[in-house]
Amino acid sequence: MTCPLCESPVAPGDSFCEACGHPLTSPACESCGAAAVDAEGYCERCGVRQPTVRDHAETVLPGGAAAVTDRGLRRARNEDAVALHALPEGAAPTVPVRSGALPAAGPGVVVVVCDGVGSSPRADEASAVAAATAAGALLEGRTHEEAFAMAGQAVVKLAHSPESAPACTYVAAVARPGDVILCWAGDTRAYWLSDTPEGRVGTLLTEDDVARGGEITAWLGADYPDVQPRTRSFVPPGPGLLLVCSDGLWRYLDGYRFPADGTPLDQVRRMLRHALDSGGHDNVTIALIPLGGTHG
Amino acid sequence: MADQAGFTLHIDQNKYLARDAREVHAILTISSAGEAVQQQAPAEAAEVIIVDTSGSMSGSKIRDARTAAATAVEALRDGVHFAVISGTSVAKVVYPGGTGMARANPATRAEAQRAISQLSARGGTAIGEWLKLAGHLLSAHPDAVRHALLMTDGQNNERDEVFAGVLAAWSGKFVCDSLGVGADWVPAQLRMVSDALLGTFEYVRNQHELADFFRRITQNAMAKTVPDLSLRVWVPQAATLKFVKQVSPTLLDLTGKRTDVNPLTGDYPTGSWGREEREYHLCVEVPPGQVGQEIRAGWVKLVRPDTQEVLASGNVLAQWTDDLALSTRINPKVMHFTGQQELHELIQGGLSARAAGDEAAATARLAKARQIAVESGREDTVRLLDKVVEIDPVQGTARLVRNVDKADELELDTGSVRTSRLRRTAEGS
Repeated sequence: MTCPLCESPVAPGDSFCEACGHPLTSPACESCGAAAVDAEGYCERCGVRQPTVRDHAETVLPGGAAAVTDRGLRRARNEDAVALHALPEGAAPTVPVRSGALPAAGPGVVVVVCDGVGSSPRADEASAVAAATAAGALLEGRTHEEAFAMAGQAVVKLAHSPESAPACTYVAAVARPGDVILCWAGDTRAYWLSDTPEGRVGTLLTEDDVARGGEITAWLGADYPDVQPRTRSFVPPGPGLLLVCSDGLWRYLDGYRFPADGTPLDQVRRMLRHALDSGGHDNVTIALIPLGGTHG
Repeated sequence: MADQAGFTLHIDQNKYLARDAREVHAILTISSAGEAVQQQAPAEAAEVIIVDTSGSMSGSKIRDARTAAATAVEALRDGVHFAVISGTSVAKVVYPGGTGMARANPATRAEAQRAISQLSARGGTAIGEWLKLAGHLLSAHPDAVRHALLMTDGQNNERDEVFAGVLAAWSGKFVCDSLGVGADWVPAQLRMVSDALLGTFEYVRNQHELADFFRRITQNAMAKTVPDLSLRVWVPQAATLKFVKQVSPTLLDLTGKRTDVNPLTGDYPTGSWGREEREYHLCVEVPPGQVGQEIRAGWVKLVRPDTQEVLASGNVLAQWTDDLALSTRINPKVMHFTGQQELHELIQGGLSARAAGDEAAATARLAKARQIAVESGREDTVRLLDKVVEIDPVQGTARLVRNVDKADELELDTGSVRTSRLRRTAEGS
């Protein structure tokens, strides 16, 4: 056995290298395998920065709903964020403001996906705080409009000035078996996935806030304080799955055959693999919620 | 960036590398402007003043040298260990005599000045012998800030390998600032002293200003309060540290002065520190990486090698990207100091080519040097270059000037190691 740094011989069970003092119980590097990852997250042998929790994270709910968020292959860090939670049993249903109908009661799921605007500073902080704030508000039973406004305020607070304003897109869903209420700003999307004789097909539920040139026209950030979200209530026509995802996935959905078997977690992993195999140009976030059927 | 004991270390770089790029450049700015450096009780200091007393010094030169040495003695802080050496083909301690050094106080300063007033000019020049004696005297004070001030007016008479051997043996053991006076000294020889002993070398163009130079250099030496710091540089296992250079206030290549700490880490001496700011240029060749991957390409610490205390530290990073807008951006400080190094090399190369009679190479190099000097705001250097190379204002063609004043050439040659600072901008790294 030798020290991964100075290559001096060390005895099994030693805590420190006697020659150079390197702690031999350091975490192992994901890249070169040396027990040499330091407190800053760099390998002291090969230098590679270790993936952080945000680089790749999965969430699974007891009811089967699953989400994954991943840095992708080309971006330095993951600026997407996702919050996926089960609504507490017996929680008051969220009242949609614009639609008069009360949502059906039953076990429900709250999901929020935010995608940091790449041209803004610290966009990773914007998406993280927006997703967490909005999910918290929705779990408390607040309306989509209130949750959106609170997430917006949290993102505005991150800005040192309107010229240096962290920003992110937003899509939130409160999903129950008979009712899905969506709220969004930007180009992060929701789809309804249902099985047909031709296989599983996706129907887009949201409309992108995007100008003709491709740039987004709505986002959360101090440089757009009076942004208004759009909302939509959707009654699933039958069993299916709600898919909420960032453009890191949907840019690769043309002609894509959605996986039609396995748990939602298996399915989000396969969709992520598809995005990475297609180039992984952007961060990828995928949430999949089974509704009113036998899925999961 | 870490900040302890009043030292700060700031790193300027563009960490983004194109897919195939391997070289990472960074400028480290190390500053000891903090309060702690001032408040810290100054370390012991040991100072040796070396006066050339060879035959060529006779006349007004030896009179000015006596005045200058007496001025330097006057500038010594009470309690400083000191000695005065007269240098010819041998080196002799003229004060206090014997093998030791004296402690500065009013009485010893007066005795030293009396001894200095007796100096006369006779004999040859053996700079290696002078430095060897200074080194022996200073090595009796290993915990002190050890400094020597050397002046000479002539060419070293020692064989090249003897001189180089002395410099190699004493490299890093003390700091020596040197001065050339008159028209017969050789800048390349004092440049070797400065490179080996981490000091400066300057040209005293007006001999009667010698005392001012001695006073300023001694005062600077007295202001050094932290002895012998090193830059400790780690690079990844598959990487190569291509160079470590001081680039401000003067150019000093430290690459060859490495002491291995372990296979990945080496120490590079920086000498003693007062309240000051210096800049270093680091170049690391990293192994090929994947797009999106970030690595620490260099881990830099300012350390006291005797106690292993880390005074400041910072990371040099590298991250591969497909985004050309990121990877083609050149950090302004890296660009500036790369230009200053090129300017120095062009001046040295131009003057050597000129001395060797290669007019075409000399003209091309000096004209290019002039262009960089203009662009980087080096007005003094432009003025000196104008004395050796003429640019036709209409055609833009260059030709060498005949009958260049020796003093102008010496000043150009000596001054090329000085660099200009990059004007501060609001832009970060």
